[in-house]
Amino acid sequence: MATPLLAVEELRTYFYLSGGVVKAVDGVSFVVNEDEVFCLVGETGCGKSVTSLSIMRLIFHPGKIEGGRLVYRGKDLLAIPEDEMRKIRGKEIAMIFQNPMRSLNPVFTIGDQIAEAPLTHFDLSNRDAWNRAIEFVSKVKMPDPEMRAKSYPHVLSGGMRQRSMIAMMISCEPSLLIADEPTTSVDVTIQAQIMDLLLEIKKRRKMSMMLITHNFGLVGEMGDRAAVMYCGKVVEIGSVREIFREPLHPYTQGLLKCLPVGFERKRELEVIPGTLPSPVNPPQGCRFCPRCSLAMMGCKLQEPPLVAQGKDRLVACHLYGG
Amino acid sequence: MPLLRTEALTKHFPVKRGTLGKTAYVHAVDGVSLHVSRGETLAVVGESGSGKSTLALMILRLTRPTFGEIYFNGIEASKMSEKEFKKLRRRMGIVFQDPSASLNPRMTIEQTLARPLVLHGIKNHDEIEARITDMLERVGLGEEHSDRYPHELSGGQQQRVAIARAIILNPELVILDEPTSSLDVSVQAQILNLLFRLQKEFNLTYLFISHDLVMVRHVSDRIAVMYLGQIVEVAGTDELFDNTTHPYTAALLSAVPIPRPKTGNIERLIVSGEPPSPINPPKGCRFHPRCKYAVERCRTEEPKLTLRGLDHIVACHRAGEIDVSGYTKELWKAIEAA
Amino acid sequence: MPRLASLKDTVLRLLQYRTSFAGLLIVLGIAVLAVGAPVFAARGFAETDPVNRLLPPSARYLFGTDVLGRDLFSRIVYGARIALWVGLLVTFIEAGIGVILGIMSGYYGGIVDKLISAATDMVWAFPPVVLALAVVTMIGPGLTQVVIAIALTSWPAFTRISRAKVQSLVNREFVLAARAIGESDSNIMGRYLLPNLVPSILVVSTLTLPAAILYTTALSFLGFGAQPPTPDWGAILADGAAQLRVAPWIATIPGVFIVITALGFNLLGDGLRDILDPKLRI
Repeated sequence: MATPLLAVEELRTYFYLSGGVVKAVDGVSFVVNEDEVFCLVGETGCGKSVTSLSIMRLIFHPGKIEGGRLVYRGKDLLAIPEDEMRKIRGKEIAMIFQNPMRSLNPVFTIGDQIAEAPLTHFDLSNRDAWNRAIEFVSKVKMPDPEMRAKSYPHVLSGGMRQRSMIAMMISCEPSLLIADEPTTSVDVTIQAQIMDLLLEIKKRRKMSMMLITHNFGLVGEMGDRAAVMYCGKVVEIGSVREIFREPLHPYTQGLLKCLPVGFERKRELEVIPGTLPSPVNPPQGCRFCPRCSLAMMGCKLQEPPLVAQGKDRLVACHLYGG
Repeated sequence: MPLLRTEALTKHFPVKRGTLGKTAYVHAVDGVSLHVSRGETLAVVGESGSGKSTLALMILRLTRPTFGEIYFNGIEASKMSEKEFKKLRRRMGIVFQDPSASLNPRMTIEQTLARPLVLHGIKNHDEIEARITDMLERVGLGEEHSDRYPHELSGGQQQRVAIARAIILNPELVILDEPTSSLDVSVQAQILNLLFRLQKEFNLTYLFISHDLVMVRHVSDRIAVMYLGQIVEVAGTDELFDNTTHPYTAALLSAVPIPRPKTGNIERLIVSGEPPSPINPPKGCRFHPRCKYAVERCRTEEPKLTLRGLDHIVACHRAGEIDVSGYTKELWKAIEAA
Repeated sequence: MPRLASLKDTVLRLLQYRTSFAGLLIVLGIAVLAVGAPVFAARGFAETDPVNRLLPPSARYLFGTDVLGRDLFSRIVYGARIALWVGLLVTFIEAGIGVILGIMSGYYGGIVDKLISAATDMVWAFPPVVLALAVVTMIGPGLTQVVIAIALTSWPAFTRISRAKVQSLVNREFVLAARAIGESDSNIMGRYLLPNLVPSILVVSTLTLPAAILYTTALSFLGFGAQPPTPDWGAILADGAAQLRVAPWIATIPGVFIVITALGFNLLGDGLRDILDPKLRI
């Protein structure tokens, strides 16, 4: 099997707050391969966003990456000094965020912002960097690229801003693009356009994409492989097809049953009882146990490790001999 | 007689353009006529700028229509005085999208639920308390939640309170404006179940505004599709999905990411470009700049809503000539099969 | 929406930061002095004792005595009472006027907003001391007169913040929901908007209070405010000005108290603002 592009091993990121320690990411492991779309799925508070920020080493006080390894092309990103990481950020691993308006600087033209990364990472003249910016504006399918590059973020629509952000992030042709809920703030038809665009870019550049979302529709449409997270831990990993066809972990099963697809109209959906546990005081043993209808005696006492359940299939559940 | 009927409802917002103060108008809602029958769930779907939320605000008189009429149980409501309309208010409720923003952060749950009762004539303290306790139970909360503040509850619990507030006076119509969009998937399901149950228990009529077509398919009897302030298609849910007629509807339905693994080579109708500004809507058919089927007539003449089947109306010049139903039919068949 | 800060939360956070902690200590200190004036001041503030005049600070007379032999410590302590009382009264009147105007301005918009905003801008432009002088020339000097004059010119601070907050809240869903259930305008302003303005009003109060103290002590210094023998700090300062070379403590000590009090409130206000302002709290 080929070496993965990125291997996350036992990542731990904690936040030290006045109310206690929030173990946002508590021993998370998965791999992202070359040329694939990997989805990190979960509900609020599961730690998926924090995981992606940790990969970029964008965790600041009061958060701290407490342990684990992030092996990118053989290098442990957590062991290298900050200035080396800066060379990787933007150039090899890039990230697009949920709300493009917040992430774009309102006082610079988008052309300037797109040109920034290449200017930093490559030895380009201002003119060359600007031309490259225009090139990428057209690559993200914005009409009239020369004029667009001279526009400021506030005159653009939501969809265009997201495209600008994408242009910014791929301008250095990274190997891994992390997209954190990239379409939550745009309309459905624009979402379809953006998703199409991302897939096209991925195909053209053989780029890998890590898609962070809570939308199972996007997972189904875009994902090759996925990891389901709950309460700071990974509960299941596998190919998207497998996970939909045969979800193994009770949480995954419960989530999929919550989706109003394939049921008789207005029929009540099967819900997962209970609520998300407090992030400061997660339950002992398996974190899903209090809400799990298949819980056994041992579940409360021991945390199930992630074990293989077939080719490229991992589950963290005692039901599967964990 | 339908419970709710609107007739050419229109809302134009004035907007100042330029320093000389030339006023332009935002055509938020333009000539919307629809009806909702008692006991049914009518979904109004559209993207941002479609006017669906403004429509809801007009029905509840939270903003005055520029033109048009609203009939509630046959009574014309848009021209009444506020005092008269107040009597109608108890027959309608609304639930908003963001539950934390829709509850007064400085009022306890009990106070929030007591207000509608007090405002509509129920002064007896014991009766108020009893009704609040009863309502809390019906929405899945307990007495212990009464003296909490909204920020002490989870999003799902807050939304339950909002629902309780909307129905505590036993209304006939409840408008739900994206009631589950800000909630987690597992909580969404719980809230939907609650809504189903309450609809049956109280024989409620729902006007369900949403952009989530997967959910809309599951909850509604009929669907009205809006684009840039106008209705482009209305039909029963199955009919809309089986015989999609308007190109925008087809694009909308096929753009929705289905929570099923990639279903192979199903073609989607990807709509090009961006939604135009509602300040200067395109002439003729408002969708024509983005429609791949547009012809000359579409650029000049506004299409009227015409009947295309039993309880299926569409506003498209080419409704009889083109067939866009293929996009959605295949797609949704694939989901059901999976 | 950000989480509300409960009282306990707020106080705890105030104690966390050195500056707001210092501010809190100072304010509490002055308050204790003010409230406990009769206890702390061994002698009254008006008791003259010409034999013991102009004595420097000692064990017997903690702050020394002034030109009439009055115990400066007693006068300062009663002065604290006056300062706080004045500050609270002015703030109360200003808040009353300012908040009501601000809420109406923000809620109704249109012509109401235009009128109130114009009035606010005009009054804001007036230097309070000048207006107070004008008022005093009309109705005569006195602490009460000065208090009213200052209050009438400084309410715009409250109007501004109230209007801004109301504008940000008025289209929030909870206000829409209130209208949907049939709440009247006055109810919406009083029950829904006003309670949500309290944190901001509180912050502004901690900043207008010291300003009020500064203005009134200035006017008392000029002789227009407190009349003798009222031991307003400004008045004491005025007395001390004449004796600066001989008995510098008479002017210095009240000056120091004025500065420290104002500083204390400002630090406290800054801290409160950092805590209560809508900042996302994890």
